[in-house]
Amino acid sequence: MDKKSMSPMNRKALKETLLFTLPAVVMVLIAIYIPFVMSGYYSLTEWNGISRNPVFIGLNNFKTIFSSGSPEFVNALVFTFKYSALFIVFSNVLALALAVALTKEFKLANFLRGMFFLPYIMSMTIVGFIWKFIFTQGFEKLYELTGWGIWNLSWLGDGGLAFWSLVIVGTWQSLGFYIVLYIAGLQAIPKEVMEAASIDGATGSQRFFRVTLPLLGPSITTCMFMSLTNSLKVFDIILALTKGGPGGATYSATLDIYREAFQNNNYGLGSAKAIVFFVIVLVLTQVVLKIFESREVQQ
Amino acid sequence: MDKVQSPVRRIVTHTLFLVVIVLLACLYIYPVFLMVCNSLKPFKEILTNVLALPSHLEWANYSYVIEKMEYFRLFFNNVVITLLGILGIVAFSSMAAYILDRRQTRVTKALHTFIITPMLIPFQTIMITLLKFMNIIHLNGTTWGLGIQYWGFGIPMATFIYFNFMKSIPSEIDESAMIDGATTFQTYVRIIFPLLKTVTATVVVLDVMWIWNDFLLPLLMVNSSPSSKTLVLAAYNFVGSLNTKWHYALAAMVLAILPSVIVFVFLQRYIVDGVVAGAIKG
Repeated sequence: MDKKSMSPMNRKALKETLLFTLPAVVMVLIAIYIPFVMSGYYSLTEWNGISRNPVFIGLNNFKTIFSSGSPEFVNALVFTFKYSALFIVFSNVLALALAVALTKEFKLANFLRGMFFLPYIMSMTIVGFIWKFIFTQGFEKLYELTGWGIWNLSWLGDGGLAFWSLVIVGTWQSLGFYIVLYIAGLQAIPKEVMEAASIDGATGSQRFFRVTLPLLGPSITTCMFMSLTNSLKVFDIILALTKGGPGGATYSATLDIYREAFQNNNYGLGSAKAIVFFVIVLVLTQVVLKIFESREVQQ
Repeated sequence: MDKVQSPVRRIVTHTLFLVVIVLLACLYIYPVFLMVCNSLKPFKEILTNVLALPSHLEWANYSYVIEKMEYFRLFFNNVVITLLGILGIVAFSSMAAYILDRRQTRVTKALHTFIITPMLIPFQTIMITLLKFMNIIHLNGTTWGLGIQYWGFGIPMATFIYFNFMKSIPSEIDESAMIDGATTFQTYVRIIFPLLKTVTATVVVLDVMWIWNDFLLPLLMVNSSPSSKTLVLAAYNFVGSLNTKWHYALAAMVLAILPSVIVFVFLQRYIVDGVVAGAIKG
Protein backbone atom coordinates (compact mmCIF):
# COMPACT_ATOMS: atom_id res chain seq x y z
CA MET A 1 0.00 0.00 0.00
CA ASP A 2 1.30 3.45 -0.83
CA LYS A 3 1.07 6.42 1.42
CA LYS A 4 -1.77 8.12 -0.47
CA SER A 5 -4.31 5.37 0.11
CA MET A 6 -3.18 4.82 3.72
CA SER A 7 -3.72 8.34 4.84
CA PRO A 8 -7.53 8.70 4.47
CA MET A 9 -7.92 5.21 5.94
CA ASN A 10 -5.87 6.22 8.92
CA ARG A 11 -7.75 9.44 9.29
CA LYS A 12 -11.04 7.55 9.28
CA ALA A 13 -9.71 5.12 11.88
CA LEU A 14 -8.52 7.97 14.05
CA LYS A 15 -11.87 9.72 13.73
CA GLU A 16 -13.66 6.54 14.78
CA THR A 17 -11.34 6.04 17.72
CA LEU A 18 -12.01 9.55 18.95
CA LEU A 19 -15.77 9.28 18.43
CA PHE A 20 -16.01 5.98 20.30
CA THR A 21 -14.01 7.27 23.24
CA LEU A 22 -15.36 10.82 23.27
CA PRO A 23 -18.24 10.29 25.75
CA ALA A 24 -15.96 8.46 28.20
CA VAL A 25 -13.21 11.05 27.88
CA VAL A 26 -15.57 14.00 28.31
CA MET A 27 -17.35 12.53 31.34
CA VAL A 28 -14.13 11.56 33.10
CA LEU A 29 -12.74 15.01 32.35
CA ILE A 30 -15.78 16.76 33.83
CA ALA A 31 -16.26 14.58 36.87
CA ILE A 32 -12.67 13.90 37.86
CA TYR A 33 -9.85 15.68 36.03
CA ILE A 34 -11.17 19.23 36.16
CA PRO A 35 -12.12 19.08 39.87
CA PHE A 36 -8.77 17.42 40.58
CA VAL A 37 -6.81 20.21 38.90
CA MET A 38 -9.02 22.77 40.66
CA SER A 39 -8.23 21.09 44.01
CA GLY A 40 -4.54 21.42 43.23
CA TYR A 41 -4.98 25.11 42.53
CA TYR A 42 -7.24 25.91 45.49
CA SER A 43 -4.89 24.08 47.86
CA LEU A 44 -2.50 26.99 47.27
CA THR A 45 -5.09 29.62 48.16
CA GLU A 46 -7.13 30.99 50.98
CA TRP A 47 -10.76 30.79 49.93
CA ASN A 48 -14.04 30.67 51.81
CA GLY A 49 -15.99 29.28 48.87
CA ILE A 50 -18.16 32.36 48.52
CA SER A 51 -15.86 35.24 47.60
CA ARG A 52 -15.06 35.49 43.91
CA ASN A 53 -11.32 35.62 44.18
CA PRO A 54 -9.35 33.12 46.20
CA VAL A 55 -6.14 34.66 47.59
CA PHE A 56 -2.94 32.92 46.53
CA ILE A 57 -0.88 32.00 49.60
CA GLY A 58 1.62 29.47 48.23
CA LEU A 59 2.31 26.46 50.43
CA ASN A 60 0.96 28.05 53.60
CA ASN A 61 -2.00 25.66 53.80
CA PHE A 62 0.35 22.68 53.82
CA LYS A 63 2.40 24.31 56.58
CA THR A 64 -0.81 24.86 58.56
CA ILE A 65 -1.81 21.21 58.19
CA PHE A 66 1.39 19.94 59.77
CA SER A 67 1.93 22.74 62.27
CA SER A 68 1.46 21.93 65.94
CA GLY A 69 -1.14 24.69 66.31
CA SER A 70 -3.80 22.76 64.38
CA PRO A 71 -3.50 19.06 65.09
CA GLU A 72 -6.96 18.10 63.69
CA PHE A 73 -5.80 16.62 60.42
CA VAL A 74 -2.81 14.79 61.86
CA ASN A 75 -5.07 13.37 64.58
CA ALA A 76 -7.60 12.37 61.94
CA LEU A 77 -4.85 10.64 59.96
CA VAL A 78 -3.68 8.75 63.05
CA PHE A 79 -7.29 7.71 63.71
CA THR A 80 -7.66 6.58 60.09
CA PHE A 81 -4.45 4.51 60.18
CA LYS A 82 -5.45 2.85 63.44
CA TYR A 83 -8.93 2.15 62.10
CA SER A 84 -7.54 0.76 58.85
CA ALA A 85 -5.00 -1.49 60.59
CA LEU A 86 -7.64 -3.08 62.82
CA PHE A 87 -10.23 -3.23 60.06
CA ILE A 88 -7.78 -5.02 57.75
CA VAL A 89 -6.76 -7.56 60.40
CA PHE A 90 -10.32 -8.28 61.58
CA SER A 91 -11.96 -8.48 58.19
CA ASN A 92 -9.27 -10.68 56.66
CA VAL A 93 -8.77 -13.08 59.57
CA LEU A 94 -12.47 -13.51 60.32
CA ALA A 95 -13.42 -13.68 56.65
CA LEU A 96 -10.82 -16.35 55.94
CA ALA A 97 -11.91 -18.43 58.94
CA LEU A 98 -15.57 -18.21 57.95
CA ALA A 99 -14.74 -18.87 54.30
CA VAL A 100 -12.96 -22.11 55.28
CA ALA A 101 -16.02 -23.13 57.32
CA LEU A 102 -18.46 -22.21 54.57
CA THR A 103 -16.64 -24.09 51.80
CA LYS A 104 -17.27 -27.38 53.59
CA GLU A 105 -20.04 -29.31 51.92
CA PHE A 106 -23.34 -29.13 53.81
CA LYS A 107 -26.88 -28.30 52.87
CA LEU A 108 -27.15 -24.90 54.51
CA ALA A 109 -23.79 -23.58 53.26
CA ASN A 110 -25.22 -21.40 50.53
CA PHE A 111 -27.96 -19.99 52.74
CA LEU A 112 -25.48 -19.14 55.51
CA ARG A 113 -23.19 -17.39 53.02
CA GLY A 114 -26.17 -15.25 52.08
CA MET A 115 -26.73 -14.37 55.73
CA PHE A 116 -23.15 -13.22 56.19
CA PHE A 117 -23.31 -11.28 52.92
CA LEU A 118 -26.57 -9.49 53.71
CA PRO A 119 -25.13 -6.46 55.56
CA TYR A 120 -22.86 -5.75 52.59
CA ILE A 121 -25.79 -4.95 50.32
CA MET A 122 -27.16 -2.43 52.82
CA SER A 123 -26.28 1.23 52.78
CA MET A 124 -23.50 1.98 55.28
CA THR A 125 -25.48 4.90 56.64
CA ILE A 126 -28.38 2.64 57.57
CA VAL A 127 -25.96 0.09 59.01
CA GLY A 128 -24.64 2.88 61.24
CA PHE A 129 -28.17 3.62 62.44
CA ILE A 130 -28.93 -0.06 63.09
CA TRP A 131 -25.94 -0.24 65.39
CA LYS A 132 -26.75 3.03 67.06
CA PHE A 133 -30.02 1.37 68.03
CA ILE A 134 -28.19 -1.76 69.24
CA PHE A 135 -25.55 0.17 71.19
CA THR A 136 -28.13 2.31 72.97
CA GLN A 137 -31.48 0.48 73.31
CA GLY A 138 -30.26 -3.10 72.79
CA PHE A 139 -27.31 -2.98 75.18
CA GLU A 140 -29.39 -1.29 77.85
CA LYS A 141 -31.82 -4.20 77.91
CA LEU A 142 -29.04 -6.78 77.78
CA TYR A 143 -27.48 -5.15 80.85
CA GLU A 144 -30.82 -5.30 82.64
CA LEU A 145 -31.09 -9.00 81.86
CA THR A 146 -27.53 -10.15 82.51
CA GLY A 147 -25.95 -7.52 84.71
CA TRP A 148 -22.69 -7.88 82.75
CA GLY A 149 -20.65 -4.67 82.76
CA ILE A 150 -19.79 -4.96 79.09
CA TRP A 151 -23.35 -3.97 78.13
CA ASN A 152 -23.29 -0.97 80.40
CA LEU A 153 -20.24 0.72 78.86
CA SER A 154 -20.68 3.91 76.90
CA TRP A 155 -19.94 2.40 73.49
CA LEU A 156 -20.59 5.62 71.60
CA GLY A 157 -20.04 8.20 74.33
CA ASP A 158 -16.43 7.38 75.20
CA GLY A 159 -13.73 8.27 72.67
CA GLY A 160 -11.72 5.07 73.00
CA LEU A 161 -14.76 2.82 72.98
CA ALA A 162 -16.37 4.71 70.10
CA PHE A 163 -13.29 3.86 68.05
CA TRP A 164 -13.82 0.16 68.75
CA SER A 165 -17.52 0.47 67.98
CA LEU A 166 -16.67 1.87 64.57
CA VAL A 167 -14.19 -0.92 63.89
CA ILE A 168 -16.77 -3.54 64.89
CA VAL A 169 -19.56 -2.01 62.81
CA GLY A 170 -17.29 -1.40 59.81
CA THR A 171 -16.11 -5.00 59.88
CA TRP A 172 -19.64 -6.30 60.39
CA GLN A 173 -20.90 -4.46 57.33
CA SER A 174 -18.31 -5.66 54.85
CA LEU A 175 -17.18 -9.02 56.22
CA GLY A 176 -19.43 -10.84 53.75
CA PHE A 177 -17.61 -9.23 50.85
CA TYR A 178 -14.24 -10.60 51.97
CA ILE A 179 -15.82 -13.97 52.80
CA VAL A 180 -17.06 -14.46 49.24
CA LEU A 181 -13.68 -13.38 47.83
CA TYR A 182 -11.88 -15.94 50.00
CA ILE A 183 -14.46 -18.61 49.15
CA ALA A 184 -13.76 -18.00 45.45
CA GLY A 185 -10.03 -18.34 46.15
CA LEU A 186 -10.47 -21.52 48.19
CA GLN A 187 -12.61 -23.12 45.52
CA ALA A 188 -9.91 -22.43 42.94
CA ILE A 189 -7.40 -24.59 44.81
CA PRO A 190 -7.25 -27.98 43.04
CA LYS A 191 -8.62 -30.86 45.15
CA GLU A 192 -5.69 -33.07 44.13
CA VAL A 193 -3.23 -30.79 45.90
CA MET A 194 -5.10 -31.13 49.18
CA GLU A 195 -5.46 -34.87 48.75
CA ALA A 196 -1.77 -35.23 48.02
CA ALA A 197 -0.98 -33.28 51.18
CA SER A 198 -3.16 -35.50 53.37
CA ILE A 199 -1.73 -38.67 51.83
CA ASP A 200 1.71 -37.32 52.72
CA GLY A 201 0.45 -37.19 56.32
CA ALA A 202 -0.17 -33.49 56.75
CA THR A 203 -2.57 -32.67 59.59
CA GLY A 204 -5.46 -30.25 59.20
CA SER A 205 -3.58 -27.22 60.46
CA GLN A 206 -0.45 -28.15 58.48
CA ARG A 207 -2.56 -28.41 55.33
CA PHE A 208 -4.03 -25.00 56.03
CA PHE A 209 -0.81 -23.12 56.79
CA ARG A 210 1.55 -24.92 54.39
CA VAL A 211 -0.72 -25.56 51.41
CA THR A 212 -3.96 -23.56 51.47
CA LEU A 213 -2.58 -20.25 52.67
CA PRO A 214 0.33 -20.00 50.19
CA LEU A 215 -1.97 -20.98 47.31
CA LEU A 216 -4.44 -18.29 48.35
CA GLY A 217 -1.88 -15.60 47.51
CA PRO A 218 -3.88 -13.79 44.82
CA SER A 219 -7.03 -13.71 46.99
CA ILE A 220 -5.06 -12.38 49.94
CA THR A 221 -3.57 -9.65 47.75
CA THR A 222 -7.03 -8.65 46.47
CA CYS A 223 -8.58 -8.63 49.94
CA MET A 224 -5.68 -6.71 51.48
CA PHE A 225 -5.84 -4.11 48.74
CA MET A 226 -9.62 -3.75 48.90
CA SER A 227 -9.75 -3.61 52.70
CA LEU A 228 -6.99 -1.00 52.74
CA THR A 229 -8.56 1.34 50.17
CA ASN A 230 -12.03 0.96 51.68
CA SER A 231 -10.94 1.57 55.26
CA LEU A 232 -8.76 4.59 54.45
CA LYS A 233 -11.85 6.27 52.98
CA VAL A 234 -14.15 5.49 55.94
CA PHE A 235 -16.87 8.15 56.12
CA ASP A 236 -20.56 7.12 56.03
CA ILE A 237 -20.47 4.87 59.07
CA ILE A 238 -18.85 7.54 61.21
CA LEU A 239 -21.35 10.17 60.15
CA ALA A 240 -24.25 7.88 61.05
CA LEU A 241 -22.82 6.55 64.32
CA THR A 242 -20.78 9.26 66.04
CA LYS A 243 -20.55 12.28 63.69
CA GLY A 244 -16.88 12.47 64.66
CA GLY A 245 -17.63 12.66 68.37
CA PRO A 246 -17.41 12.45 71.27
CA GLY A 247 -15.29 15.57 71.45
CA GLY A 248 -13.85 15.06 67.95
CA ALA A 249 -12.30 11.71 68.93
CA THR A 250 -13.55 9.83 65.88
CA TYR A 251 -12.79 12.15 62.98
CA SER A 252 -11.35 10.23 60.04
CA ALA A 253 -9.26 11.97 57.37
CA THR A 254 -12.19 12.14 54.94
CA LEU A 255 -14.58 13.44 57.59
CA ASP A 256 -12.03 16.09 58.59
CA ILE A 257 -11.72 17.22 54.96
CA TYR A 258 -15.51 17.44 54.80
CA ARG A 259 -15.64 19.44 58.04
CA GLU A 260 -12.90 21.84 56.94
CA ALA A 261 -14.61 22.64 53.66
CA PHE A 262 -18.32 22.46 54.30
CA GLN A 263 -18.60 23.33 57.99
CA ASN A 264 -15.63 25.65 58.60
CA ASN A 265 -15.85 27.09 55.07
CA ASN A 266 -12.07 26.83 54.62
CA TYR A 267 -12.15 25.56 51.06
CA GLY A 268 -8.47 26.28 50.44
CA LEU A 269 -7.27 24.46 53.54
CA GLY A 270 -9.75 21.64 52.87
CA SER A 271 -8.38 21.24 49.34
CA ALA A 272 -4.83 21.09 50.68
CA LYS A 273 -5.86 18.33 53.11
CA ALA A 274 -7.55 16.53 50.22
CA ILE A 275 -4.32 16.61 48.20
CA VAL A 276 -2.28 15.30 51.13
CA PHE A 277 -4.86 12.54 51.60
CA PHE A 278 -4.61 11.63 47.91
CA VAL A 279 -0.83 11.26 48.08
CA ILE A 280 -1.01 9.13 51.24
CA VAL A 281 -3.65 6.79 49.80
CA LEU A 282 -1.73 6.45 46.53
CA VAL A 283 1.58 5.63 48.20
CA LEU A 284 0.11 3.23 50.78
CA THR A 285 -2.01 1.26 48.33
CA GLN A 286 0.81 0.91 45.79
CA VAL A 287 3.29 -0.20 48.46
CA VAL A 288 0.88 -2.79 49.88
CA LEU A 289 0.05 -4.04 46.40
CA LYS A 290 3.74 -4.47 45.51
CA ILE A 291 4.58 -6.22 48.79
CA PHE A 292 1.76 -8.75 48.54
CA GLU A 293 2.18 -9.37 44.83
CA SER A 294 5.89 -10.11 45.24
CA ARG A 295 5.13 -12.70 47.94
CA GLU A 296 2.56 -14.62 45.93
CA VAL A 297 3.49 -18.21 45.12
CA GLN A 298 3.51 -19.10 41.45
CA GLN A 299 1.06 -21.94 40.82
CA MET B 1 -10.08 -37.35 53.92
CA ASP B 2 -9.98 -37.84 57.68
CA LYS B 3 -9.42 -41.58 57.62
CA VAL B 4 -8.29 -41.83 61.22
CA GLN B 5 -11.62 -40.76 62.71
CA SER B 6 -14.31 -43.30 63.46
CA PRO B 7 -17.68 -42.72 61.75
CA VAL B 8 -19.41 -41.91 65.03
CA ARG B 9 -16.85 -39.28 65.94
CA ARG B 10 -17.13 -37.81 62.48
CA ILE B 11 -20.87 -37.42 62.76
CA VAL B 12 -20.52 -35.83 66.20
CA THR B 13 -17.89 -33.29 65.07
CA HIS B 14 -19.87 -32.52 61.95
CA THR B 15 -23.05 -31.89 63.94
CA LEU B 16 -21.13 -29.76 66.41
CA PHE B 17 -19.68 -27.78 63.54
CA LEU B 18 -23.15 -27.27 62.05
CA VAL B 19 -24.61 -26.06 65.34
CA VAL B 20 -21.76 -23.60 65.88
CA ILE B 21 -21.82 -22.14 62.37
CA VAL B 22 -25.62 -21.80 62.32
CA LEU B 23 -25.56 -20.10 65.73
CA LEU B 24 -22.82 -17.76 64.52
CA ALA B 25 -24.80 -16.81 61.43
CA CYS B 26 -27.93 -16.14 63.50
CA LEU B 27 -25.96 -14.02 65.96
CA TYR B 28 -24.42 -12.17 63.03
CA ILE B 29 -27.75 -11.24 61.55
CA TYR B 30 -29.45 -10.61 64.90
CA PRO B 31 -29.08 -6.79 64.72
CA VAL B 32 -31.05 -6.80 61.44
CA PHE B 33 -33.70 -9.00 63.02
CA LEU B 34 -33.95 -6.66 66.01
CA MET B 35 -34.41 -3.69 63.69
CA VAL B 36 -37.25 -5.34 61.76
CA CYS B 37 -38.85 -6.71 64.90
CA ASN B 38 -38.85 -3.38 66.74
CA SER B 39 -40.00 -1.43 63.71
CA LEU B 40 -43.31 -3.27 64.10
CA LYS B 41 -43.85 -2.37 67.77
CA PRO B 42 -45.65 0.55 69.35
CA PHE B 43 -43.19 3.05 70.83
CA LYS B 44 -43.82 1.99 74.43
CA GLU B 45 -42.91 -1.63 73.77
CA ILE B 46 -39.54 -0.64 72.35
CA LEU B 47 -38.78 1.19 75.56
CA THR B 48 -39.96 -1.57 77.89
CA ASN B 49 -38.46 -4.56 76.10
CA VAL B 50 -36.32 -4.30 72.99
CA LEU B 51 -35.65 -8.02 72.84
CA ALA B 52 -39.25 -9.27 72.98
CA LEU B 53 -41.40 -9.98 69.95
CA PRO B 54 -44.10 -7.40 69.21
CA SER B 55 -47.42 -8.04 71.00
CA HIS B 56 -49.15 -7.04 67.77
CA LEU B 57 -47.87 -5.73 64.46
CA GLU B 58 -47.96 -1.94 64.46
CA TRP B 59 -48.18 -1.23 60.73
CA ALA B 60 -49.07 2.37 61.55
CA ASN B 61 -45.34 3.06 61.97
CA TYR B 62 -44.87 2.22 58.32
CA SER B 63 -47.82 4.15 56.95
CA TYR B 64 -46.67 7.21 58.92
CA VAL B 65 -43.12 6.96 57.55
CA ILE B 66 -44.17 6.22 53.98
CA GLU B 67 -46.30 9.35 53.97
CA LYS B 68 -43.90 11.62 55.88
CA MET B 69 -40.81 10.63 53.89
CA GLU B 70 -42.69 10.57 50.59
CA TYR B 71 -41.28 7.11 50.18
CA PHE B 72 -42.57 6.38 46.70
CA ARG B 73 -41.13 9.55 45.26
CA LEU B 74 -37.76 8.77 46.83
CA PHE B 75 -37.94 5.29 45.42
CA PHE B 76 -38.70 6.71 42.00
CA ASN B 77 -35.78 9.18 42.31
CA ASN B 78 -33.44 6.31 43.14
CA VAL B 79 -34.66 4.33 40.16
CA VAL B 80 -34.14 7.29 37.81
CA ILE B 81 -30.65 8.06 39.11
CA THR B 82 -29.50 4.45 39.15
CA LEU B 83 -30.96 3.65 35.72
CA LEU B 84 -29.57 6.78 34.09
CA GLY B 85 -26.18 6.21 35.70
CA ILE B 86 -25.93 2.56 34.73
CA LEU B 87 -27.07 3.10 31.12
CA GLY B 88 -24.38 5.71 30.50
CA ILE B 89 -21.64 3.76 32.25
CA VAL B 90 -22.38 0.54 30.34
CA ALA B 91 -22.79 2.20 26.92
CA PHE B 92 -19.83 4.56 27.03
CA SER B 93 -17.41 2.18 28.77
CA SER B 94 -18.07 -0.79 26.49
CA MET B 95 -17.83 1.45 23.41
CA ALA B 96 -14.54 2.93 24.52
CA ALA B 97 -13.10 -0.42 25.58
CA TYR B 98 -14.03 -1.97 22.22
CA ILE B 99 -12.17 0.57 20.13
CA LEU B 100 -9.25 0.81 22.57
CA ASP B 101 -8.67 -2.93 22.34
CA ARG B 102 -9.13 -3.28 18.57
CA ARG B 103 -6.97 -0.35 17.47
CA GLN B 104 -3.66 -0.60 19.21
CA THR B 105 -1.97 2.71 18.41
CA ARG B 106 -0.20 5.40 20.37
CA VAL B 107 -3.42 7.40 20.45
CA THR B 108 -5.50 4.55 21.90
CA LYS B 109 -2.81 3.78 24.48
CA ALA B 110 -2.86 7.38 25.65
CA LEU B 111 -6.67 7.45 25.73
CA HIS B 112 -6.72 4.18 27.68
CA THR B 113 -4.40 5.63 30.32
CA PHE B 114 -6.45 8.82 30.43
CA ILE B 115 -9.72 6.98 31.02
CA ILE B 116 -8.65 4.44 33.63
CA THR B 117 -6.11 6.45 35.69
CA PRO B 118 -8.84 8.23 37.74
CA MET B 119 -9.43 4.88 39.51
CA LEU B 120 -6.49 5.98 41.68
CA ILE B 121 -8.13 9.23 42.81
CA PRO B 122 -10.27 8.89 45.95
CA PHE B 123 -13.61 10.66 45.64
CA GLN B 124 -12.97 12.68 48.80
CA THR B 125 -9.93 14.29 47.16
CA ILE B 126 -12.09 16.09 44.65
CA MET B 127 -15.43 16.49 46.43
CA ILE B 128 -14.87 20.12 47.44
CA THR B 129 -14.07 21.44 43.99
CA LEU B 130 -16.49 19.01 42.35
CA LEU B 131 -19.38 20.75 44.11
CA LYS B 132 -18.09 24.13 42.93
CA PHE B 133 -17.64 22.91 39.35
CA MET B 134 -21.03 21.15 39.16
CA ASN B 135 -22.57 24.43 40.30
CA ILE B 136 -20.96 26.15 37.35
CA ILE B 137 -22.12 23.62 34.75
CA HIS B 138 -25.56 23.14 36.41
CA LEU B 139 -25.36 19.42 37.03
CA ASN B 140 -26.18 19.66 40.73
CA GLY B 141 -29.55 19.80 42.44
CA THR B 142 -31.41 17.46 40.09
CA THR B 143 -31.88 13.72 39.81
CA TRP B 144 -30.82 13.60 36.18
CA GLY B 145 -27.76 15.75 36.89
CA LEU B 146 -26.78 13.36 39.66
CA GLY B 147 -27.30 10.37 37.36
CA ILE B 148 -25.03 11.95 34.73
CA GLN B 149 -22.32 12.63 37.30
CA TYR B 150 -22.14 8.90 38.03
CA TRP B 151 -21.04 8.33 34.44
CA GLY B 152 -17.73 10.05 35.07
CA PHE B 153 -17.14 8.21 38.35
CA GLY B 154 -18.16 4.78 37.01
CA ILE B 155 -16.52 4.85 33.59
CA PRO B 156 -12.84 4.34 34.61
CA MET B 157 -13.39 1.03 36.39
CA ALA B 158 -16.04 -0.21 33.94
CA THR B 159 -13.78 0.55 30.97
CA PHE B 160 -10.96 -1.27 32.73
CA ILE B 161 -13.15 -4.36 33.24
CA TYR B 162 -14.54 -4.30 29.68
CA PHE B 163 -11.07 -3.74 28.19
CA ASN B 164 -9.62 -6.81 29.93
CA PHE B 165 -12.53 -8.90 28.68
CA MET B 166 -12.38 -7.66 25.07
CA LYS B 167 -9.14 -9.58 24.47
CA SER B 168 -11.00 -12.87 24.84
CA ILE B 169 -13.30 -12.04 21.89
CA PRO B 170 -11.44 -13.01 18.70
CA SER B 171 -11.15 -10.11 16.26
CA GLU B 172 -12.07 -12.43 13.35
CA ILE B 173 -15.66 -12.05 14.53
CA ASP B 174 -15.82 -8.32 13.93
CA GLU B 175 -13.60 -8.53 10.83
CA SER B 176 -16.09 -10.86 9.14
CA ALA B 177 -18.94 -8.50 10.03
CA MET B 178 -17.00 -5.61 8.50
CA ILE B 179 -16.42 -7.60 5.31
CA ASP B 180 -20.19 -8.09 5.11
CA GLY B 181 -20.44 -4.30 4.97
CA ALA B 182 -21.26 -3.37 8.58
CA THR B 183 -19.83 -0.12 9.91
CA THR B 184 -17.72 -0.13 13.05
CA PHE B 185 -20.65 1.17 15.09
CA GLN B 186 -23.05 -1.45 13.71
CA THR B 187 -20.51 -4.15 14.46
CA TYR B 188 -20.19 -2.92 18.02
CA VAL B 189 -23.96 -2.74 18.61
CA ARG B 190 -25.01 -5.96 16.88
CA ILE B 191 -22.03 -8.28 17.24
CA ILE B 192 -19.74 -7.20 20.06
CA PHE B 193 -22.08 -5.83 22.71
CA PRO B 194 -24.20 -9.02 22.90
CA LEU B 195 -20.99 -11.00 23.39
CA LEU B 196 -20.14 -8.88 26.43
CA LYS B 197 -23.19 -10.15 28.37
CA THR B 198 -21.34 -11.74 31.30
CA VAL B 199 -19.06 -8.79 31.88
CA THR B 200 -21.96 -6.36 31.50
CA ALA B 201 -23.71 -8.30 34.26
CA THR B 202 -20.67 -7.77 36.49
CA VAL B 203 -20.58 -4.04 35.77
CA VAL B 204 -24.33 -3.70 36.35
CA VAL B 205 -24.22 -5.53 39.69
CA LEU B 206 -21.27 -3.50 40.98
CA ASP B 207 -22.54 -0.13 39.85
CA VAL B 208 -26.19 -0.62 40.80
CA MET B 209 -25.14 -1.58 44.34
CA TRP B 210 -22.84 1.42 44.48
CA ILE B 211 -25.19 4.05 43.03
CA TRP B 212 -28.31 2.80 44.82
CA ASN B 213 -26.62 2.96 48.24
CA ASP B 214 -24.29 5.91 47.63
CA PHE B 215 -24.45 8.60 50.27
CA LEU B 216 -21.73 11.22 49.94
CA LEU B 217 -22.34 12.38 46.37
CA PRO B 218 -26.11 12.82 46.90
CA LEU B 219 -25.36 14.56 50.22
CA LEU B 220 -23.22 17.09 48.35
CA MET B 221 -25.38 17.50 45.26
CA VAL B 222 -29.06 17.19 46.14
CA ASN B 223 -29.35 17.66 49.91
CA SER B 224 -30.75 21.16 49.53
CA SER B 225 -33.35 20.21 46.92
CA PRO B 226 -36.04 18.12 48.66
CA SER B 227 -37.68 16.84 45.49
CA SER B 228 -34.45 15.27 44.18
CA LYS B 229 -33.30 13.42 47.30
CA THR B 230 -32.28 9.78 47.21
CA LEU B 231 -33.69 7.12 49.49
CA VAL B 232 -30.61 6.75 51.69
CA LEU B 233 -30.06 10.50 51.95
CA ALA B 234 -33.69 11.15 52.90
CA ALA B 235 -33.59 8.31 55.43
CA TYR B 236 -30.43 9.83 56.92
CA ASN B 237 -32.11 13.21 57.36
CA PHE B 238 -35.38 11.69 58.53
CA VAL B 239 -33.80 9.44 61.15
CA GLY B 240 -31.56 12.30 62.28
CA SER B 241 -34.58 14.56 62.81
CA LEU B 242 -36.49 11.96 64.84
CA ASN B 243 -34.04 11.86 67.72
CA THR B 244 -35.29 8.99 69.89
CA LYS B 245 -38.58 8.18 68.19
CA TRP B 246 -37.18 4.79 67.37
CA HIS B 247 -40.46 3.26 66.15
CA TYR B 248 -40.52 5.64 63.17
CA ALA B 249 -36.75 5.65 62.71
CA LEU B 250 -36.60 1.86 62.53
CA ALA B 251 -39.47 1.69 60.06
CA ALA B 252 -37.69 4.26 57.88
CA MET B 253 -34.46 2.22 58.06
CA VAL B 254 -36.25 -0.98 57.08
CA LEU B 255 -37.93 0.81 54.16
CA ALA B 256 -34.60 2.24 53.03
CA ILE B 257 -32.90 -1.16 52.75
CA LEU B 258 -35.95 -3.18 51.71
CA PRO B 259 -35.48 -2.83 47.92
CA SER B 260 -31.85 -4.04 48.08
CA VAL B 261 -32.78 -6.96 50.33
CA ILE B 262 -35.62 -8.08 48.06
CA VAL B 263 -33.39 -7.95 45.00
CA PHE B 264 -30.66 -9.80 46.88
CA VAL B 265 -32.98 -12.62 47.96
CA PHE B 266 -33.92 -13.29 44.34
CA LEU B 267 -30.58 -12.69 42.67
CA GLN B 268 -28.11 -13.79 45.37
CA ARG B 269 -26.00 -15.95 43.05
CA TYR B 270 -25.68 -13.28 40.36
CA ILE B 271 -24.90 -10.55 42.86
CA VAL B 272 -22.22 -12.56 44.64
CA ASP B 273 -20.69 -13.67 41.33
CA GLY B 274 -20.68 -10.09 40.06
CA VAL B 275 -19.08 -8.74 43.22
CA VAL B 276 -16.36 -11.41 43.17
CA ALA B 277 -15.63 -10.94 39.47
CA GLY B 278 -15.53 -7.18 39.88
CA ALA B 279 -13.10 -7.32 42.79
CA ILE B 280 -10.75 -9.72 41.05
CA LYS B 281 -10.74 -7.83 37.78
CA GLY B 282 -10.91 -4.34 39.26
